[in-house]
Amino acid sequence: MDDFETFLNGGGIVEADDAMPDEYRQAVFRFIELHANSEHMGGLTERDWIPRTPGLRHKMAVIAKTQDEFGHGHLLYMVAADMGVKTRLEMLQDLFDGKSRFHNVFHYRAKTWGHQVAIAFLVDAAALASQQAVFKNCSYGPYRRILKRIISEEGFHMRLGEDRMMRIAQGTEMQRELFQQAIDDWWWPALQLFGPDSKPNDMLLRWHIKSERNEVLRDRWVQKFVPMLQSYGFTIPDPGLRFDEELDRWVAGPIDWEPLKKTFANVGPDSARRIGEAAAHWDQAAWVRNALDTHQLTNA
Amino acid sequence: MSSSNHESADVEELSPEQLRLEAQIHSAVASVDDPEYPGISIVDLGLLETITLDSNDDVTIGLIPTFSGCPALAVIADDVVDAVQTLTSVANCTVAWLNAPAWHADRISHEARSCLERKFTVAVQLGERSPTCPLCASKTVEQSMFGPSRCRSVHTCTGCGETVEVVRG
Repeated sequence: MDDFETFLNGGGIVEADDAMPDEYRQAVFRFIELHANSEHMGGLTERDWIPRTPGLRHKMAVIAKTQDEFGHGHLLYMVAADMGVKTRLEMLQDLFDGKSRFHNVFHYRAKTWGHQVAIAFLVDAAALASQQAVFKNCSYGPYRRILKRIISEEGFHMRLGEDRMMRIAQGTEMQRELFQQAIDDWWWPALQLFGPDSKPNDMLLRWHIKSERNEVLRDRWVQKFVPMLQSYGFTIPDPGLRFDEELDRWVAGPIDWEPLKKTFANVGPDSARRIGEAAAHWDQAAWVRNALDTHQLTNA
Repeated sequence: MSSSNHESADVEELSPEQLRLEAQIHSAVASVDDPEYPGISIVDLGLLETITLDSNDDVTIGLIPTFSGCPALAVIADDVVDAVQTLTSVANCTVAWLNAPAWHADRISHEARSCLERKFTVAVQLGERSPTCPLCASKTVEQSMFGPSRCRSVHTCTGCGETVEVVRG
């Protein structure tokens, strides 16, 4: 393990076929599986909104985003399966059985178009910041290369999110109220997405899977979005939030981590429905997989 | 923009100033990157079809989409207008999305293709043959007709096992 860590500290990149300590393999695998599950669940959320999205411009973007998220999930499941810990089918089965994890934000329900705007604007930015921090220095080659493409595409989602936000922020009083309500509902889940402060012995940092501490990423996000939302006349639902003149920075109030723990245990506000719908969707799409298999057999 | 308009613009003699301006407009359009592939110009991806200047120095940029439902069209058009409007001699810039010719992967320049391979591990499909792996040049096998976008499929490399996205021809 010492040699391996020296290799990683020297900027070494691990490829799928390379020898690696089992702890490293498991840690990287769990991390990619979590990411893959989250893309898959994210795709299902977007899909829900295709018929409900207002206007052709936004609708086209939602259709494409749905494809993007499932596509990312697909690529990530392939990379994860190559690590030889679980097959893709086993990963999906565990997801549908509520045995594995996906990001906290997909344990809540997107109830209004305002919510969708807040998700595209606040949550996607948080997810992108975390992914960028992984990509920057990731020691596992196959994941790093996939992330490069995912990040470029998520960056494009951010532009769509900003476009949606600008439109709703400059809209009617009713639209602005809808968006304020969405900020109130999604501010904390988005903030919690970064996770609690990184522990000093965080193996993900030590093995160059992550490159930045959770609290650093979270703080950067706060510095960006507090002034931006306030400049559009919206309020932040954090009574403890203050601007520290000395530090010249926004300081968030204390964070309640209980909701995050619940999502980790798959008992968040919308976990049961989400997991149930993901499983049902998989079953309903069985005929498509069968048709594709038949097509491939006949053409083989 | 009607096709007759387009033809008359082509046959009309451009003054040396207009030729210079056209070259400047071309570089401005070339400075716009694909929103999903930072560092790769939309001109290198083969999206630029026509630049039409009229006597008032209004310019129409004719672009062709890689596929008609592409969600990036509005963003690309905004970026092109922003880039071209920075030229002081241009009065007004509009983008027209053309229905023809249809885009094909063979419109991607050689430079853009190698950049896609090197920077993004993305291969380009030309013709029927499955493209080779950008990492080890072995044969790839299609796993899924569609990837994160309808213009891309997902392959695996038979040599190094890499998951490779392929721009469909």
